[in-house]
Amino acid sequence: MLLNSWSIALLLCGLIVLFLMGLAARSAIRVLLFWNPESDSNRQIRLENEIWLTSTLVEYALGIQIISLIVFVLAADFYSQSIAGAMCATGSLLANSFGVPALLVKIGGVFFYGFWIVLHHLDIHSEKYPLVRVKYIYLLFLIPLLVLDLALEILFITGLKPDIITSCCAVVFGDATGGGSNLLGGFTHGLSMGLFYGTAGALILLGVVLLERWQRWLGVLFSSGWLWFFLLALTVVTTEFSSYIYAMPFHKCPFCILQPEYHYIGFVIYFALFLGAFFGMSGAVVEPLRFVEGLEEGVTGYQRSAVKLSLLFLVFFVLVSSYHYWRYILIGGEG
Amino acid sequence: MLIELKNVTKIYNQGQINEVTALKGIDLTIDDSSMTCLRGASGSGKSTLLAIIGCVFQPTTGRVSIAGKQLSRLPDRFLTLHRRQYIGFIFQTFNLLPALTVQDNITLPLVPLGIAPVEMRRRAAVLMDRFAIAHRRNFPASQISGGELQRVAIARALINNPPLILADEPTAHLDSRLSEEFMHFMKDLKTAGKTIIITSHDPLVTEHADVDRIVDIKDGRIDAA
Repeated sequence: MLLNSWSIALLLCGLIVLFLMGLAARSAIRVLLFWNPESDSNRQIRLENEIWLTSTLVEYALGIQIISLIVFVLAADFYSQSIAGAMCATGSLLANSFGVPALLVKIGGVFFYGFWIVLHHLDIHSEKYPLVRVKYIYLLFLIPLLVLDLALEILFITGLKPDIITSCCAVVFGDATGGGSNLLGGFTHGLSMGLFYGTAGALILLGVVLLERWQRWLGVLFSSGWLWFFLLALTVVTTEFSSYIYAMPFHKCPFCILQPEYHYIGFVIYFALFLGAFFGMSGAVVEPLRFVEGLEEGVTGYQRSAVKLSLLFLVFFVLVSSYHYWRYILIGGEG
Repeated sequence: MLIELKNVTKIYNQGQINEVTALKGIDLTIDDSSMTCLRGASGSGKSTLLAIIGCVFQPTTGRVSIAGKQLSRLPDRFLTLHRRQYIGFIFQTFNLLPALTVQDNITLPLVPLGIAPVEMRRRAAVLMDRFAIAHRRNFPASQISGGELQRVAIARALINNPPLILADEPTAHLDSRLSEEFMHFMKDLKTAGKTIIITSHDPLVTEHADVDRIVDIKDGRIDAA
């Protein structure tokens, strides 16, 4: 499966990002060894110029890596055309033991890479580069994640064989395997919907309180709530809402909603969820930086914007993802 | 606006075969509301020094502080804001845009600040009256005389009301009458509380009564201060 445009695009993305991060790692080591903002030496001035360029390159590299999640899912969907038994990305991802781990690493990566970009923006909006050391230490921790990401991607792609029989989403999330409720550990319909809307409501309430007055413990609660909601929402979309979008009670799949016959609604749903979760969680992530000299104003401004954006995306996500469900409940089926 | 330079060195093309050391360990303090002349032969490093004070170039080593704030190594976005707010630059060849009118050249530094056009025109009108170029308001810069060009350049440097005026060989292309006129304008600005730094080796400037201090630059070093 290596010689097709999706595989080549994915591997090129991964290699370019890793190459750029390798260059950035050299700067990171120099930052760790020599960074001294009080110094007027030639080495410090050159290092400041170097990290300005390096940080910009890293920002773009991580941006590409975040976008590669979409490419990966679309590629998995494309591979399903060549794999016996697969009807969408679900079948491809389950065709060997590296598909699901590769997806999970990519999903987790979106948040870790995004947090670096937030750190970078806070840093360059301050006059004294207060976060250079922090962001370059963090960058060194991201490199193993990127290597793991690329390694799993290569193992997944090279391990795809057309003669391996896999399962389609109808089987994986079908009634025989618990109607997808296995993802929620056997939650009933009422409980999972109650948790979904209850958590969304609680997050909106918390967000409004935080916008009125930021309190650290409430911020942490809001971010933790978003982490829980993100995981819950992914499973509720699969087990509850997706079959209403497909208008087929037995069809439950997190990937088919990305396809053109469903008007690409999955992209809208997942964009809103990922962006909402990212902004929701990042507010607490930047909280410790409030005490860094020159950053208090920047952190406060970012947290307010992040809470506002997370609430906006939350409301949008809830409305779009549950539209077909409520439409069915209120006015019946397709007719 | 006190200006302090500590151990400032500037090397062009560092590490390359055409490496040039333009400034070597400059230590200099310039007082608030004063007129200072950086004097030196061509290639002595005086324009480089002026460009470093004006945050156009970054020093290779050393520190430049203006009003207690180290500016030379501010991130670019802050440096741009600083230049807009605090520095008025008059170039040797004036660097006006020939296709724009006198008024548009003068108001150009206000464009990135998002100031309303009415306010821009009001501020420009005050300066054009002051420098006697109001009658050339709608003339393209390519169609006015050398003396008028000089006055437009000064007006453009002053439109943001900056506390620091930097002039790089401003009289190099002017006759003695226009050079005298230029120094007269500088004297008025000094009286108004501006800090002025001029690079020149023109005696009309260096021997002018209102110049408070001459700093001689030779081979990238301060010769006598």
